[in-house]
Order: sequence, then C-alpha cells, then structure tokens
Amino acid sequence: MEINWIKIIGLIITPIIAFFTGTLYGGSARNITARIQNRYGPPIWQNLFDIMKLYSKSSTIHHGVMQHLGAVWAITASTTTLLFIPILRDSELFVNLSFDGDLIFLLYIMVFGSLGMALGAGQTGNPNSAIGVSRGLTQLVGYKVPFIMALVALMIQFKTTNLNDLLAVQDSFLNWNIFQSPFAFLAAILAFLGMMGYKPFDIVFAPAEIASGPPSEFGGKYLGMMQTSRSIFTFAKLVLFTDLFLGGAENFFILIIKTYLLYMIPLLIGIVNPRFRTEQSVRFFWKWPTAFGIIAILIVAY
Amino acid sequence: MISIIGILGITFATAVLSFLLHHLIPKLRNIIVILAVAITGYIVWQLPANPTEITFALGDFNIVWGSTAYSQLFALLIAVLGFFTLLYSSEFMKGRKRLGYFYMNFLFAIGGMYGIVYSQDLVSLFFFWEIMTWSSFMLVIYSSKKAQPIGLKYFVFSAIGAYSILIALLLLYVNVGSVEFSKIFTSFGNISFAVQLSIVILLLIGFGVKSAVMPLHVWAPGAYTISPSPFTALFSGALSKMGVLGIGLVLFKLAAQSGFYIYVKEILAWIGAITALLATFYAIFQTDAKKLLAYSSIAQLGYIITGLAIGTPLSIMAALFLTILHGAFKAALFMATGAVFYRTGSTDMNELTGLIRKMPYTFLTALMGIIAVSGVPPLGGFAGKWMLYQSLINSEHYFLVIVIFASSTAAFLYLYRFIFSLFLGQEEKEYDDVKEVPWIMRIPMLTLVIFTLVVGVMPGLLLEPISSAMAYLGVQSLGFETTVVVNGWGNQIDMFTIMNSIGVLFVIAASFITIKGFKNGRYVTTKDIHTSGEVPTENENLTYAVDFYKPFERALGGVLKPSIDRFYKTTAATLEELFDHLRYIYTGNGQTYAMYVVLFLVILIVFSEMIFGVKL
Repeated sequence: MEINWIKIIGLIITPIIAFFTGTLYGGSARNITARIQNRYGPPIWQNLFDIMKLYSKSSTIHHGVMQHLGAVWAITASTTTLLFIPILRDSELFVNLSFDGDLIFLLYIMVFGSLGMALGAGQTGNPNSAIGVSRGLTQLVGYKVPFIMALVALMIQFKTTNLNDLLAVQDSFLNWNIFQSPFAFLAAILAFLGMMGYKPFDIVFAPAEIASGPPSEFGGKYLGMMQTSRSIFTFAKLVLFTDLFLGGAENFFILIIKTYLLYMIPLLIGIVNPRFRTEQSVRFFWKWPTAFGIIAILIVAY
Repeated sequence: MISIIGILGITFATAVLSFLLHHLIPKLRNIIVILAVAITGYIVWQLPANPTEITFALGDFNIVWGSTAYSQLFALLIAVLGFFTLLYSSEFMKGRKRLGYFYMNFLFAIGGMYGIVYSQDLVSLFFFWEIMTWSSFMLVIYSSKKAQPIGLKYFVFSAIGAYSILIALLLLYVNVGSVEFSKIFTSFGNISFAVQLSIVILLLIGFGVKSAVMPLHVWAPGAYTISPSPFTALFSGALSKMGVLGIGLVLFKLAAQSGFYIYVKEILAWIGAITALLATFYAIFQTDAKKLLAYSSIAQLGYIITGLAIGTPLSIMAALFLTILHGAFKAALFMATGAVFYRTGSTDMNELTGLIRKMPYTFLTALMGIIAVSGVPPLGGFAGKWMLYQSLINSEHYFLVIVIFASSTAAFLYLYRFIFSLFLGQEEKEYDDVKEVPWIMRIPMLTLVIFTLVVGVMPGLLLEPISSAMAYLGVQSLGFETTVVVNGWGNQIDMFTIMNSIGVLFVIAASFITIKGFKNGRYVTTKDIHTSGEVPTENENLTYAVDFYKPFERALGGVLKPSIDRFYKTTAATLEELFDHLRYIYTGNGQTYAMYVVLFLVILIVFSEMIFGVKL
C-alpha cells in the first residue's frame, strides 16, 4: 500500500491549527465580553497560557479510571469530529478523512465526547457534576431536534449525506446554502446557540450555581485536556457550519473570517441575555427552531 | 443427527430430563442442559438450507418443517443467546428453589422458538408459538407471588395475539385450502381484498404482541422486570424477535401481493416510530434498572419494526442488523443488571451507587452495552442506526427520520442514568464488600459486547447472512463490503477508518495523560470533594439520583400523562361493570327463564318477517 504523506501531514497539522485557532477565539471572546461589561479583560493569549499552565501542573489525585479517561474520551471525540470535516475547499492537504464519514456519522461522534465527559464527571461523585450532566443531556435532546431537521433538509435538497458533495454544490456566492435554504440555516443556527453553550443556554456549566457543573472535580492535566478538547471542538463546529451553509473556504484567510463571524453570533447573543432554565431552553428549541426546521423540510420536499 | 428433528428432539428431551434430574442428581443437570444447548447450537450451525426437510400429514393439514436462510438467521440468534443465558444462569440461579421447573421451562422456550423459526406451515407455527408463550409465562410467574398479576397481563395479551393468529390461520385455510407457507405465499394474491386485509391485520396483531409494539406493549415492562435476569436476557434478546420474524414474513410474503401494501407499510412504520419515541420517554423516568431496560427494548423493537415496514433494501438490512445486534447488547445489559442484582440484591437506581470499582467487568459490559444501544460509533449500534436513517431519508420519510432521531437522542438520557446510578457516583458503605461476579457470569456478557464491537467495525460479517435472508424475502440487498456500508445515494462510511481514528487518538491521549505525572497519581474517595466549599461528613448523602431528569419532565409537560395502560384498565373496569349488570338476567329462577323463552318466541313471531323474510 502506498503511503499518502500529504494526507498524514494534513491529519497531524489539522488538530494543531484547530487548537490554536479555537484557543485564540476563546481569548478574544473573553476580551469582547470584558469590553461590553466595561472591563479591560485579559490578553488574547490568556487561554493559551491557562492551558499551558494546567498541563505543567502535577496532579496528585484522580477519582478512578473513568474520571481518568473522561477527558481522553472528550478529546478523542472532538479531534475525530474535526478530522472527518473538510477544512478547506478542494484542498488535498485538508480533506482528511471526510470521504469515509458523513453527516450522520458527525452527528453521532459529536455526542460521543459529551458522553465520555459525562461518564468521567459521574465518577467524581460530586453532586454538582451530576446535576450538570442531567441538564446537559436534557438540553442536548432540545437542540438536536432542530439541528437534525436542518441537516435532513440539506440532505434531501442535494441528495447526498457527504459534506464534500455539499461543498461542491455551493460553488458561487449565491449558491451558498444560507441563501438556498434559509430556513434550514435559521433552524441550525438557533441549534448552534445551544451547542456552543453560551448564554442563554449555559445552565449546564452555570459557574455561580453549580460550580461549573460536569468539570467541577477536574483539575491540572485533566482540566487542561478538557480545555484543549473544547477549543478543538469549537473550531470543528465552526468549520462544520461554514461548510454546511457558508460555502466553505478556499484558504485560511477566508476560513478565519467566516468562522470568526459565525463565532460572534452565539457570543454576542450570550453577552446581552440572561440564562434560560433547562426546561425553558428545551421548550425554546422545540418551538421556533423546530418550526423553521419543519418549514425547511416542507419547502425542499414538496 | 444434523436435522431439525435432532434440534427439537434434543431440546425438548433435555427439558423433561432436567425436570426429572432435579430430583435425582441436581449437579448433573447444569452440565447436561448446557451441553444440550451447545450441541443443538452446533446442529443449527451445520444445518443445510432445505425448506421442505420434513413433511408429514396431521389430519387434514400438511406439516412442513425446513430451514431457509431467513430462519437460519433467527435460529443462530436463539442458539447463541440460549447458550450464553444458560451458562449465565448456571451461576445466577444457584441456590434458588424449583430449579427443575425453571430449566424445564427455559428449554421449552428455546425449543418453542426453534420450532417457530423452522416451521414452514401455520399449524406448527401456531403450536410452537403456544409452547413458547406458555413456557415464558411460567417463567414470568416464577419469582414470587407479586408476579401473578403481571403474569396474568402477559397471558391475556399473549392470548389476544394467539387468537388473532388462530383466526388468521383458519381464514387462510378456508381461502387457500392449505396451511403450508409455500402454498399460502403463492396464492395469497387470489383471495378477496377484505379477507386479505383482515388476515394481514390479524397476523400483525398476533406477532406485534410478542414484539411489544404500541399499543400492545403494556405487558412487556412488567414481564421483563419480574422474570429472572437470565431469562429476561433471552426474553428481550430472542423471544421478542419471533414477532419480528413473523412481521417480516407477513409484510414481504403476504401483504406485498395486495393492493393495500403501501398503506400497511406506512401505518406500521409510524407505529414503530411512535413506539420508539414514547417508550424512550417512559424509560427516562423509570427508577428500576430492569424496567428502564424493558422500555428501552420496546423502543429498540420500534426501530426494527419501522425498518422492516419501510421495506427498501437498506431499511430491511438495517432492521435485521439491529435485530441481531439488539439481541446481543440488550441481553448483555440485562445480564449486567442481573449481575448487580446477584451481588447487591437490588435493581433500584435510587438505591444503588458507585459499583464501578467493585464490579469493573460488569461496568465494562454495561458501558459497551450503552454505547451500542445509543448508536455511537464505533460499536455495532452505529452501523445499524446509520443504515436506518439513510434508508428513511432515501425513501423520502423525512418526518419519520426526525421522530426516530429524536427518540435515539433522548435515549442518551436513560442510558446515562442507567450507568450513572448503578456504577458511578458516590461510593456507599453498604456496598463496601460487594465483589465482582464469577467468571462463568462474566464470560457470557463480555463475549456478547465484544461481538457488538467486532460487528461494529466489520458490519459486512453480519450483513452477509442478512443479505441471503433477504433473498428469501424477495428483496435484493444493497452493496456493502466488510467494513464499508453504502446508502441509496452512493454515500458511504468506512467503519475501519472510523475505528482507527478513534482508536489511535484514544491511545495517544490516554498514554499522554497517564504518563504525565504518573507517580503522583493517587486515588481519592468520592467523599473527598468540595461542594461549594463545604467538606461532606461521613454519612452525608450527596448522590444526585432521585428524579434525575426532573427538568426534562417539566419540559415535556403533560405529554406522558395519558397512559395506554390506564385506558385498558378503564375499559376492563367498564366491561366488568357491564357484565355485572348482565348477570342479573340469570336470576336462577325457573319462572324467569320460562318467561325469557316466551318473550323470545313473541319477538320471533312479531319480527319474523323482518328478520327472515318469512311469516311464521
């Protein structure tokens, strides 16, 4: 068998790029939040320093094998998600494994990480973690419904479940799916708010109430790995949405612009809004976003 | 001895023998029972496909037994699950009372199932169906007095199912003149429309009861919960699949020839999807681990029914794939719950907690089991779910796929609760001396979950026999390779790449986090935590397990308030009252009866012209 070096290099550098981009986005989010709240905020590199610091600390304790593997599980899932998404259009280097998976696979692998983290959090025995997990899974059922509706609408419109085919049909500005199926985009972007976990959907982590929920017993290298995973996953989700609705990107400059603009949507909505209770957020997702999803499907199906 | 007679003969003979041996040499019994199931399993494996292996006349009926690729698929499931559940019960049932009774009925149930899959005529199918129902009823009421009302409910519904099959059998015999499958299948198209429809509906009710399709499911949660764990594994894993076998035959061999096929398909697909969704919601709010798994079984059967009903090549592949796989992982999960019960004497999720360090192998089983149920890659559940979704989207069932997907996502809730309440969370003093179960119980469950992993990475292994089974049903399967599954649009997933990606990343990350600061790692108990700055005391209960999904309950509002069970109970109560009034007609007084006769005659004379068209 011939070894495809380009592919291997792509597989290695993609997670690294994702990590740095995701971390810097997180840092800039802290900055923007601070400015809106009339503070100065930390430097943009702060999240990167935090993660470095966490890795350099030596953990003296662990809560058992499931907690030990919880963060591993999360980072496996987020990196796998990333590797099955084409990062750039028509790029041999960044196509990665996207031809061996499809949208339904991505839907499931995206949950894989939450499940692992939930299991890890479960073993710590902290009641706050369990409460956070209960809320998180409940909210998951909420936003997955409009999200799958948006995806089904896209799948039936273009008769494919592969992301590369979806990219291929969005060949010009007006062919972007945001214009071709606006209702699917609405449903998906509202679900995206829930996915990103900013306000009003941050009751899962609710720092002041349940001590940041699921990861509350994680520290040192475990927390570091979780933050790494979160950065990678954020970038993966942003690229996924860019590929789905914004026509992908030809180079990294365009990718950064598009993903950063997408990232601003949940962030800016989150800064000016208070928090939903869990049942309120589930009901929110089952009302308008689901209605948009149904409209999107009806339009393309009939 | 490689024949169906051998399989049935050995199973039923061992059943009787195990009852007798119980009084003579109990120790020999386990060995003989397990050996017998292993030998029959080997015969099933070696059995050549021959649809008319044995034929003989029984009165007016021609009895035909034989094996087809379709029946082989189910027979192998029975053989494997039968062997593992019996191996498991040899330890699990140790020291219980009435073991002769238990093993006899267990083997009768296995024999009944073998009979069903190898029957090629309706009479023997009905006969073996009754054997299976009776023996499973006996095992449902095995455990305690408490089981009797539950057993009664199971029995009433099974009777409804059995009578439906019986009436359909008679209708077919009257209209076709034969009970052999081969004749029925070829001449079903010639029967009049109304009869066709009633036969199909009756048969679907009959088979639907066993696979617990809503609204015929009400017996299942109770019966699955109360029967002994090894049997529950077989009950949910194999016995409920007999309904699937029957529904497959009815849909593709009978209904496909009629004009209403498309409607039956659509209605059944929706029934399956709604079953899946509602059963999942019910499962989320259970407090008993076995009851949770029971509802989960109903939901999974819902997917299978939907897949069968859609009737495209990919959806049938998905349905049969899930049928086999559900047999494996749900049996493993019931065994894991049984293992917890074996050591702690409880399956109450509000009570149990923190068993992971005491029962690591059982935890591993439960973990892989829930991953397989939830359909997260790389385990087998994913390949099955993927095919199901793709087939629904390809065949333009867009809203069906949403319902199925919603139920599949909601399944994470109960699955997490299951594993969290039993194995994770705080470790309590009362479970300090709990030990892992013996190897003879571990091997069956671990083998079954490893099977789900192997099939998950190489779905082609299982799709090979499935595609021959589909050829018997008259449907050509879609192309596939050992590790690659393809949908109707030509999109594919490669399970091998997925497995590699997950595996490599997991190993790298796990090695990193383990090696980093390895010497310093020390285990601290789950009490050694902070909760908002407070240090919990020795006896403080910090487990968050009761009403775990209260927010979800609130979000759903009153959706789950109306209950099918209550509807049946109200109907039963109303009928009872009605019959109570009717009782007054029978006064027991001779004069009243004489008056009835006179009244009847008067009515006859007055209305005779109207009724018979003749004046008396």
